[in-house]
This record gives sequence, structure tokens and C-alpha cells, in this order.
Amino acid sequence: MEFKLDTHPGHTLHLFLFSELQNSKEILNLLQTGVLQPELAFFNASLIPDTFPLLAAAHKAMQSHDRGSLRTRSIHSELIFNYSGSKHITESLKRCGISDTTSYVLVARFDASPEDVDAVKTLVKGEELDISELPARADQAAILKHYKISTVELDASSLEDAIVCRIAARDAL
Amino acid sequence: MAALDLMQLDGDQAPTSKLLKQGAEARVFESSFMGRKAVVKERFSKKYRHPVLDAKLTSKRLLGEARLLAKARRLGVVTPALYAVDPVTASLTFEYVPGASVKDLLLQSGPLPSPGGKIEEIAKQIGKAVAKLHDGGVVHGDLTTSNMLIRPDTNQLVMIDFGLSFTSALPEDKAVDLYVLERALISLHSSNGDIMGLVMSSYKQSSKLWSSTLNKLAAVRMRGRKRVMIG
Repeated sequence: MEFKLDTHPGHTLHLFLFSELQNSKEILNLLQTGVLQPELAFFNASLIPDTFPLLAAAHKAMQSHDRGSLRTRSIHSELIFNYSGSKHITESLKRCGISDTTSYVLVARFDASPEDVDAVKTLVKGEELDISELPARADQAAILKHYKISTVELDASSLEDAIVCRIAARDAL
Repeated sequence: MAALDLMQLDGDQAPTSKLLKQGAEARVFESSFMGRKAVVKERFSKKYRHPVLDAKLTSKRLLGEARLLAKARRLGVVTPALYAVDPVTASLTFEYVPGASVKDLLLQSGPLPSPGGKIEEIAKQIGKAVAKLHDGGVVHGDLTTSNMLIRPDTNQLVMIDFGLSFTSALPEDKAVDLYVLERALISLHSSNGDIMGLVMSSYKQSSKLWSSTLNKLAAVRMRGRKRVMIG
């Protein structure tokens, strides 16, 4: 599914959701050796309850990219790093990225061409789901733990807003 | 304006952005963020300050506001969600909260009791929100009725503008916070009746540390907001 980044006119973010991923080992290997073409971001999708926090992370990544101030190797790894809301890059990629056992994944690509879209669908061996499945499939307990969100905070805020605030405020803390 | 030039160069601002408010420290624009309606609060540089000091103060206050807002949310106080922080343009992007300020609502309504107890309910929410902030060690710093909004659908109180906020455990700082609110209510809204009384009774119910704060408040009332520095 394609999302227009209204804070960066002309740029888009494509998101694909898969379950029953079979070749996570192969993908992880490609990611770690940095030879994956086209460049993609792979997320552990159970930590994503909604697309909005992801788009907020995309805004930050795009902005750092434009200013030449990326803190990770590429705009796609920056997306995962930003989404995690943490300042620790390795830890971010480990927790919000995929491991060789992850089977429910979200794939993201900035400014994807039709060829890129085809490439994703050939590379990823799994069952493609609609993005609207995100809320129902999210692991709320894992999300609360990862972002350290208390029930007190959830009384006053939605889950996705709580995540977005952490993504936005990370560099202020 | 340097800040404006930067903004245009950066191309971050949606071209339709409309100026909502202009204050002494910042401008507030209407904008959109990833398909949601948003407001952008942009601090501008002060030409009368030394550039180095100015940059330092601007960035410190910007980050401080983001930090304190995030802290207030963790304490369970309703605030607009923070969507983005940009130190380069010195701007914060927030959720757009529809609805009037408590100031406008009070100015429009007659003396207590209000129809349906609406104003009483708002006063109660104010006391509760301030108590949560104070017990969590957050002093708002600018508690006025224009920094509180009411969501029209739910009548929920939303606290805004943490630009002057700081963390403190001192009863003195919390008492001054309440004193500022009391002065604001008396000077603008005395025709509504004793709203501060309602705020305080709800504050006392919600805050565990109310007694030391209220003791200090009595002292602050005697002398005003500024500390007496004699001897």
C-alpha cells in the first residue's frame, strides 16, 4: 500500500504486510551483508499497531536524509531506528527489525518504483495481508513493554499517539 | 526573518499553513502531518539577543517543551500528541485539538451554577490535571485558562503549552503555579463565581502532597509571585 508523505511532497512510503514468512534467514542474511537490492526495511510487525507511528518515523528519516544527518547506514535502517523510539541503534534493529525466526513482517520502501514492488513480492516468501490487519495482529503487551507505556498513560492517550510521542521526543530526552 | 527563510528552504511546511496565533516566543500555524490535521509551533529568533545565546535558549526551550509534554503524558495528563520535533527550524508539530479554550468558554458563560454543571466539571478536571502534574514533579509554569482546551465531543480538558514548564519537587514552585492560575481566574473570570474554589477542592482530592503545597500557597498569596529577597 502506498502512503504519500505530506510533509515531503513528491515522496512516498510503500508498506507490505506478510505472515507465515518462510525465508527470514535468507532475508536477514541479505540485510546484514548490505547487498539487498532494492534496499528495504523489514519490521517485526507485531510491534506495529497502526501505520501512523510508522509514518512519523518515516518523516524523521526523510528529514535526516535530506539534511545529510542520517545516524544509521541508510534511510531504510534509519526508519527502523526511528520507529523504535530508542537511542540505541543495534538494540533498535534487533527489536523492531527481524530475526531469523520472525514470521509476521512489515516491509517498507521509500519512493518505490513498480519494479521495486514486484521485487518485494518475489523476494518475500509469505502470505501477503492487507495493511488494515495491523491493529488486530499487534502484540499489545510487547508494545507496552518495548515503549514503556503505563496504563496511566493509556487512560489519557491512544496507543498510537503514545508511540508517536516517543518517536518524536526521542532526541529531546 | 531568518526563521522564515529557513522554513522555506527546508520545504517542510505545507504551503497552505495558516497562522493561528502569534506570541512573544513562537508562532503557531495550522498544518497537516501524515494525513492528520496538525499545528506547528515555531520559535523564532530574537534579534535583540546575542546570536549564540539566542540559539542556545531557543533550542533548550524547544527540547524542554517536548520533554515536559512527554512527561506530562506519562503522568496521565491529556495533552495534544507530539508528532515531530525539529531542532533545525525550532519547531514542534502537534495534534490539532478542535474546540475552544477554557478562557473563551468561561467568558461566554454566566455565573455558577452552570447549565448541566458543565463549568463545574471543567473546574474539577483542571484541579485533577494540575494535581497529576504536581505529584509527578512537573510545574506547568503558565497555568492560564487560555492554555487549557476543551474537546467539544467529550468535554475533555486538554492542557497545552509546556514552553515554560520545568520539573520541581518544591512546594514553593507548585504553589506559585496555583497562584498564577488563581490570579488568572480572579482577573478574567470573577463574574463566573468561585471557580478556583472548585479547582482547589478537586486538587486536594487528587494530590497526595496537597497540604504542603497549600501551606505555601498561603504564603505566596501574601507576597505575590516573586520571592521576597531581603537580607
